[in-house]
Amino acid sequence: MAEHAIAPPALHPDVFRLPAAHPWTRLPLIGSALAVTGLGASLALGLGNRPQLWHSWLVASLFVLSLALGGLFFVLTQHATSAGWSGAVRRIAENAMATLPFVALLFAPLLLGMGELFHWSHADAVASDPLLAHKRAYLNVPFFVARTVLYFASWCGLALWFGRLSRRQDRSGEHELSRRMRRASAPALILFAITVTFASFDWLMSLNPHWYSTIFGVYFFAGCLVGIFAFMSLVAIAQGRAGLLVEVVTVEHRHQIGQLLFAFVAFWAYIAFSQYFLIWYGNIPEETGFFAERLSGSWRPASVALAVGHFVVPFFFLLPRAVKRSSAALAAGALWLLAMHLLDLYWLVMPNLHHGGMAPHLLDFTTLLGAGGLFLAAYGWSSRRQALVPLGDPRLSESLTFEVI
Amino acid sequence: MALLRPSLPPGDRFGLLAEFPTPAALYHACEGVRDAGFTRWDAHAPFPVHGLDRAMGLRPTRLPWISLALALAGGAAGMGLQGWVSTIAYPLNISGKPFFSWPAFVPITFELAVLGGAAGAVFGMFALNQLPTLWHPLFGSQRFERASDDGFFISIESWDPKFDASATAELLRGLGATNVETVAC
Amino acid sequence: MNGTHNESDPVANQSSQTVGHPAGLGVLDPPDPDPLDHRAPLILGGPSFHDVTEAVARPLERPPTLGWWLCFLPSVAALGLLGVAIGWLFFEGVGVWGLNNPVGWAFDITNFVFWVGIGHAGTLISAILFLFRQKWRTSINRSAEAMTIFAVMCALIFPGIHVGRPWVAYWMFPIPNQMAMWPQFRSPLMWDVFAVSIYGTVSALFWYVGLLPDLATIRDRSRGLRRMIFGGLALGWRSSMRHWQVYEKAYLILAGLATPLVLSVHSIVSMDFATSQLPGWHTTIFPPYFVAGAIFSGFAMVVTLMVITRKAFGLEHVITMRHFDYMAKIMLLTGMIVGYAYGLEFFIAWYSGNAYELFTFKNRAFGPYAWAYWTMVTCNVLIPQLFWFKRVRSSLLWLFVLSIFVNIGMWFERFVIIVTSLHRDFLPSSWFYFRPTFWDVATMIGSFGLFFTMFCLFVRFLPIVAASEVKSVLPQAAAHPAVAPIVELERDQIPGGALPARSAV
Repeated sequence: MAEHAIAPPALHPDVFRLPAAHPWTRLPLIGSALAVTGLGASLALGLGNRPQLWHSWLVASLFVLSLALGGLFFVLTQHATSAGWSGAVRRIAENAMATLPFVALLFAPLLLGMGELFHWSHADAVASDPLLAHKRAYLNVPFFVARTVLYFASWCGLALWFGRLSRRQDRSGEHELSRRMRRASAPALILFAITVTFASFDWLMSLNPHWYSTIFGVYFFAGCLVGIFAFMSLVAIAQGRAGLLVEVVTVEHRHQIGQLLFAFVAFWAYIAFSQYFLIWYGNIPEETGFFAERLSGSWRPASVALAVGHFVVPFFFLLPRAVKRSSAALAAGALWLLAMHLLDLYWLVMPNLHHGGMAPHLLDFTTLLGAGGLFLAAYGWSSRRQALVPLGDPRLSESLTFEVI
Repeated sequence: MALLRPSLPPGDRFGLLAEFPTPAALYHACEGVRDAGFTRWDAHAPFPVHGLDRAMGLRPTRLPWISLALALAGGAAGMGLQGWVSTIAYPLNISGKPFFSWPAFVPITFELAVLGGAAGAVFGMFALNQLPTLWHPLFGSQRFERASDDGFFISIESWDPKFDASATAELLRGLGATNVETVAC
Repeated sequence: MNGTHNESDPVANQSSQTVGHPAGLGVLDPPDPDPLDHRAPLILGGPSFHDVTEAVARPLERPPTLGWWLCFLPSVAALGLLGVAIGWLFFEGVGVWGLNNPVGWAFDITNFVFWVGIGHAGTLISAILFLFRQKWRTSINRSAEAMTIFAVMCALIFPGIHVGRPWVAYWMFPIPNQMAMWPQFRSPLMWDVFAVSIYGTVSALFWYVGLLPDLATIRDRSRGLRRMIFGGLALGWRSSMRHWQVYEKAYLILAGLATPLVLSVHSIVSMDFATSQLPGWHTTIFPPYFVAGAIFSGFAMVVTLMVITRKAFGLEHVITMRHFDYMAKIMLLTGMIVGYAYGLEFFIAWYSGNAYELFTFKNRAFGPYAWAYWTMVTCNVLIPQLFWFKRVRSSLLWLFVLSIFVNIGMWFERFVIIVTSLHRDFLPSSWFYFRPTFWDVATMIGSFGLFFTMFCLFVRFLPIVAASEVKSVLPQAAAHPAVAPIVELERDQIPGGALPARSAV
């Protein structure tokens, strides 16, 4: 740490862009190769095992969707609060949210799999079950599809609009664009909250249509935040290791992202515990089924692993200041948390297919490879078309001299 | 907690008190005093000037560890108390919940952990700062009253190995002190 | 002002670059065309450190004004009413309230949750805004923390007095006794005992630690008895940098602890209801929903108090319109979270297919307490929408009036949750209506009396602004002049365009 105030870095313009021959420019290609391999293998393996295919595909798609949505949320809140510290790292989130149109492509095939995923999509099931009949006004295929289209249209719309204005600001440096984005961010956050809540109800909660929980949207949202801050930590560190933005994204930014990661790990635990605890305490059968299922057979150790691995271990690991300021330690923690976030989504989805115990399948990995590859390709493509930091942000200079408390 | 008076070596002169006009002046002066090798000295300001601890060469404080230790102790005490009461001392069948119903013990455990951490932070801070110390030689200086208002000071104790009445005063004036006075014990 | 860079204003830009205590998030320097916000410094008039000391210390050193007496005396009268109400309650029993079967909780627990909620804004301003490095908190955090402590005092009265046998209230504490009895720790009411009292204790510790430097300031300005009292309270603080270093760490740790404390305390309070099996009470979103509501009502109370206090003590240049702007936006945010929860509860009540759940919500909106429900919705969801408008956020009158409406709405929210769920639950033959008695209302008014009495005493005897913290966010507090990096960019060298030639400020 410097003895004096952070001296102004003398920054060469090349610092802000991805050099033409840099390995990272090949990210779209690598990502696409992974995507094709993964998705191809998934289709090959999955045609004979459709339920497994769709469930695994759902987990993988939700994983990358949660990162993209987390990016969108970060961008919106940074604009809404007129934040100054985040300029140097905001493009990471902007690139993450730019993948949303591609993630929409991942969800399109899932609509074909609705029959295997959603019990309520079968007319005979609805006819024989009064609860499903009651929910028919909401849980029916046409409305569900329309809602999905609406969610993705909203998210893609927001991502494209904010991304486009940010890029335009790179060129023109107009402050007016920041003001427009700030004014738009508040209604955008309202739209975000409503769409993410109902998307989580649709795609996750209705997998078990008899069950319900008012906090479920918040729970999914908390997972998105853990995911995005883990992702941003990894990218910020990887960028530095790759020789990009070395003097721009400093240990202070990584520390700050690490603090946010820590805070939202605690927030996730708070929401997850609230949900579990209240259902446990009330002990009402129509609610407890959700957890009873996840505490039976080999799901039980998975649940314990989730509690310990997604909260207890990362909480104490990320607590010390030194860890958040060490690239290696923070990267390890972030990678671990991405894995835990994936486990969280797996734990939400898979017990609907594999009752009585975990049954990992090759399709889980191939679909993850496919979805992850697509996400990386889209991320890489987005980061190639623009500068690595939002050059026109009026507060960029403040971000460059940012110091954590 | 400390006694109400500071424990100082015998002597009738406490040291020198130098006043500086601005936080920036104080900062640079502190670097000078630190680099000159003094150890028994201190800076005084009405608010914590950012970066001054580095300028003085202070090491990070152990307070977080004290707070963490007491937080863990508080949490353990909470879980332990509730567990013991509910399983051994006074077990009650409450709507069929198990006797060691740990989820229900989490709220109080958490609160006691926070209380432990807070007590550790506050009373640890008092202990490390040796507060209350209601009387100190520096309070004998009239000008020193401005330390809590808008004054910036450096005090160097006379028991410091490098202390010399005139040389140290010269050093301080050279570093930008607007006023240097001797403080008696 | 219309899209221009701030390059030409070194003072404002310097203040945005200072990495003081706490370091800025740029909120001093938003690119905003609004005349009030653009380049508005947090502390107006460019005061010196001594000016801040004077502004904060002077009100204590002169006799109380007529305005103060006009606030204090009615508050003491209401406090007296509280004493009478509690005395009568202990003498006659809980039957003096309007409680019946099935409505076993009404005003008592509504007031408890209301006061705990009010307290949360203080901790949020002190702790959470500190962690987010929002410099603007320094003008209001002392008063807000004091408000927290007094609110918790008011809150703790109600669980204490509402038990049927208050003379054995000590049974709630885990003290070894001759009966070999222990509390039942699985009860949310026990968690409340610990949570709220620990919250009060930690808030008091945080407040006291924050006060120490200012107590020293008052000590150094005083003579005689006042000097002795403040000297004792200041513990001999001598503004030593070695002490400041440990102090700052303690402050940071306390802020870091107070943040989860705020979340946990009101979550635990919400569990009084959510752990039950009652429709309208048992729902998983209660913890974060209650926390958001608490912050909402707490900020409303801070606004109410600050509008009066800043005028009464001449602190308009320290507690500025910009502070109110931020507080109004926070109210808008938390109000919308509360509205989100209302909508979500309704949706899930239908989605669940649970007939009792759906009836509860229909009953709230259209049953005998519909008047309370729609008061709640109007005050909490509709009226705060006015905060979208800059004109409203910039008008002290609007802020004052709206903040009172918000508090009315939040009181009714707790009333609606508690009473409507109780008065008509599973068995129609048990349905009954609750009407408050004189003593219900008297106790409630009395609690406001306690709160305002304590607050009046606070503003009379203690520094109401954290002077040392305000000084640390003044532009002249920085040890190094702020330096921005010089970013030289040429337009044609960046893919997709470039920055204008210099972004140095």
